[in-house]
Amino acid sequence: MHPVKLFCWHFMAYPYLPEDFDEKYDSGWVTVPNALWDREHAKGLYQEYIDQLVYADELGFDGMVLNEHHQNVYGLMPSPNLIAAALSQRTKNGRIVVLGNILPLHLNPLRIAEEYAMLDCMSDGRIVAGFAVGGGPEAFNYDVPSPRARRQFWEAIDLIARTWTEDGPFEHEGREYPLRYVNAWPRPQQTPHPPIWVPGARSRETMENAAQRGYAYFLSSRSHGDQTRQAAQAYAKTMAKYNRTYTPFDFGILLSVYVSETDEQAKIESQEGIWYFLRNCLKGHLRTKGRTLTWGPGIPSTSPESWRGFLEQWQFGAKQLGDTEDWEELDQRASIIVGSPETVRDKLLALVEKAQTGNLLIQFHFGNMKDELARKSMRLFAEQVAPALRSESADIFARDFPEMADRETV
Amino acid sequence: MAARSINFAGQKVWVEENGDGTPVVYLHGIVDLHGLDAAPMAFHRALANTCRLIAPAHPGCAGTDEDETMETMDDVVFHYLRVLDALGLDTCILTGSSLGAWIAAEIAVRHPERVEKLALIGPTGLFVPGHPIGDVFWYAQPDDGVRYDGLRELLFAGPRTETGMTMIPDAKDNIEREMLKYKVFRFASLIGFKPPYLYNPRLSDRLDRYTGPALILRGAEDSLVPAAHAHAYAEGLGDAQLEVLPDCGHSLIAEAPALTAQLVSDFITN
Repeated sequence: MHPVKLFCWHFMAYPYLPEDFDEKYDSGWVTVPNALWDREHAKGLYQEYIDQLVYADELGFDGMVLNEHHQNVYGLMPSPNLIAAALSQRTKNGRIVVLGNILPLHLNPLRIAEEYAMLDCMSDGRIVAGFAVGGGPEAFNYDVPSPRARRQFWEAIDLIARTWTEDGPFEHEGREYPLRYVNAWPRPQQTPHPPIWVPGARSRETMENAAQRGYAYFLSSRSHGDQTRQAAQAYAKTMAKYNRTYTPFDFGILLSVYVSETDEQAKIESQEGIWYFLRNCLKGHLRTKGRTLTWGPGIPSTSPESWRGFLEQWQFGAKQLGDTEDWEELDQRASIIVGSPETVRDKLLALVEKAQTGNLLIQFHFGNMKDELARKSMRLFAEQVAPALRSESADIFARDFPEMADRETV
Repeated sequence: MAARSINFAGQKVWVEENGDGTPVVYLHGIVDLHGLDAAPMAFHRALANTCRLIAPAHPGCAGTDEDETMETMDDVVFHYLRVLDALGLDTCILTGSSLGAWIAAEIAVRHPERVEKLALIGPTGLFVPGHPIGDVFWYAQPDDGVRYDGLRELLFAGPRTETGMTMIPDAKDNIEREMLKYKVFRFASLIGFKPPYLYNPRLSDRLDRYTGPALILRGAEDSLVPAAHAHAYAEGLGDAQLEVLPDCGHSLIAEAPALTAQLVSDFITN
């Protein structure tokens, strides 16, 4: 039996922006003035967020997900490894998924190999090692030329994987990170190494590189329509090219959920947090209004061929998730799923079946959502959504992927 | 009017060549042939009436192969030495616009013996403390997903000049033009995405290596490259003449094509 894996993703948003933030500031990223950081209110903020992740572990989620962002209000984890270290000491069961360390921002990938190995030992082998290349904001924050970042990224991943699997000391003859003595202590607890996940936005080169190496692909898009299924199929096809058989556990997606007793109640409780998240946290990232730096000619990380594919589909000035104006529009984007346990279960099950994905990475906390609401939604999800989702997805996967029956999945 | 490709070391370089007479190698910028336009613009046509104008596209731009290993200005200079070799030009008159002018200056200070005359139109390339080059990479993403006022402000005499609105409209351009733009920014990013952008910290101290005649053109309203840069070029290159064109921004070849071509052509022939 292989039920869908359910992860709790926390972005750790900054929740104390002024009411008129959207009118006054063109972005929540890179240039958003840090004078807005309120020291008094922010006392205990990390503790609250870490406690929510610990609660997720207690509720039986398959894991907790963290990621790296800099100079923004969307995610307050410039170093996700620090939070992962805290979780390693406070959680017992779930995976700690860091999705991921942004490799080109680090001087030397050896440091990441070492930190992940430490975390793997500290967590009794629960780390999932994610690696990200970074997008526009990261390029501007750390001034890494985008075309070069991609080259650095794959060299760094290969070096890290080798660091974990090959006995040292060895010499790495890389173009970006030449090293004479590679001999990392400690070594990770998991063998051959922690599972590696790579996020991508459907670019061909990321799929090729991840499939070739047998890593799980995580679709970083936040909206889920036909393109999510197409991405899963494209990844399955790419894996087949390298004689690998796709299973739903080779593919993950990000979505957001709020559960309450009824559909109506769920909307009432979540609306403040959700609209704060859409208007403020996504401004500069997945919102057309303002200054969006996520992609563009100034941060040209994808190959020209991939860019052509993007141009062919791109509607100039089209609304994005953060430009959503009402609940109806929000429903259509299948990104933030709000409702009763039945509503949420049905929608997620449909998504799992359609996209054939075995990893649901779910955001429960939005923007300035109150602690008690985030916890309530997580609890209702764990008690009233997850059991059915697990058993029914296991049936779907058994039917659609019979060859997976005796395979171990991460 | 002819475009062709030349090949060396397994690499294809796209070259637009027009006119007869003295060979003049022209290295393009962003608002330029190979940068936004696939065909020669009024400036290139005017200049090609007075010389043999040879305009190669930078690595990764237009039809020139991308060189994924390229990362420093040295790589670019070696690339262009090979291009000059392949064109059979032991020496030439070298000119360029914007980041193309930067590359021209880098070639001239390394190999002054191959450059008869040097004409720099709105050159980037220098580090002048307190006078940073504008952030063209930042503004390459539009405001509200549709408005390129910030980019046009940097590249033209104002955010909404007629030339600016034509060259960079507030709309998705046709895909081939969008692709040219993406590729020229990708090249610019590879060699120049280091704050304060599009410069080589060593170039200022090397300018005296080139002692031949030089022309520096600057738009009076250029808000991408501050005036101090044109002055630093003019002072650093021994035999240089600086001309400032009124009412123009950074993209002289698009904003004042006839006058710019005239000034370059006068410099070449005199």
